[in-house]
Amino acid sequence: MNGRNDENLKELFAKFLNAEQAEMAAEDVEKAEQILREYPAPAPDDTLIAGIKSEIAQAVLPREVNVFRRIPYKMAVVAAAAVIVIASISVRLLEKGGGRPGKAAYARIISRALWESDDISADDVELAIFTAEIEQIEGEVLTLELGENGGNGDRAVSELEMELIEIAGDFWKG
Amino acid sequence: MAKSDNLDRIIIGCKAGSAESFSELLDIYASRFYGYFYRLTGNNEVSNDLLSELFVKLVKKISSYKGGSFESWLFKIASNIFHDYLRGKQRRKKLLEVRKKQLESRITEEKKSDSEKVDKLQIQLEKLDADMRELIMLRFYSQLKLKEIAEMRSEPIGTTLSRLHRGLKRLRELMER
Repeated sequence: MNGRNDENLKELFAKFLNAEQAEMAAEDVEKAEQILREYPAPAPDDTLIAGIKSEIAQAVLPREVNVFRRIPYKMAVVAAAAVIVIASISVRLLEKGGGRPGKAAYARIISRALWESDDISADDVELAIFTAEIEQIEGEVLTLELGENGGNGDRAVSELEMELIEIAGDFWKG
Repeated sequence: MAKSDNLDRIIIGCKAGSAESFSELLDIYASRFYGYFYRLTGNNEVSNDLLSELFVKLVKKISSYKGGSFESWLFKIASNIFHDYLRGKQRRKKLLEVRKKQLESRITEEKKSDSEKVDKLQIQLEKLDADMRELIMLRFYSQLKLKEIAEMRSEPIGTTLSRLHRGLKRLRELMER
């Protein structure tokens, strides 16, 4: 029990007491500690030490087992995270490479059935009316251009073109 | 290998969960902590239990040791274990009063086995107040400097010195009667 006794007790006491008192106090401590050394406490029994070592081994064991139990759990977490990352990358790649953005963009505004249908007149009455008018005008323009409608063909064509532009403008305005 | 290097190596082993390293620590400290508990309790069986509890607790707490004086850290745990024991002891006060009388009567017996022998020092130590007794034992069984003991007790070093001096002087007087 002497490992720390390199510290100078007299010096320590001298911080709080006068020199004479410090010397006496240090002497009191040293003499009393000598008595303690003369009456050593009993040593622990060998069977006690063996028992504690066995207890320690048992206490350490669950920690080691827990570490091994944690490994599969950690692996499962890492695997799940990897699957999520791969799935998210795949979705992004498919969107970029394989998708049809034009169609997809329209599909958000116009229903899929309407978009994919070839029968416009059945899908939208207003659209069908405009389409019919445009087709009629186109027919008239064609007739005039071919000279089938008398002498003032140029003027009539201009009027029809203006009408056509107006209809088209109305159509896109909705 | 230097003593502190060896201790560092053992502590690293303990932190890694090596039962062998804990056993090495037990071999180093068992006698001193047993002496510490024995002089505080005066009872072999209780000292056995407290020493065992200290090392089982050490296994659980070793990861929380972050450096500094290992001995100071370990004595702090030992001190807490002793105080827990004392709190339990309060609850069994009446029972212990009976035991104390039995203890005193045993002293007068001439023939005692070595393990049950109650020495003069133990009798006189019982006459000191618990805190003073603990301070004396901490000083004697640990290799801590008074400054470290004062820090452990959360008090100024002057207070520790004064109490230690008074306690040891009183003990010496009791022993010289």
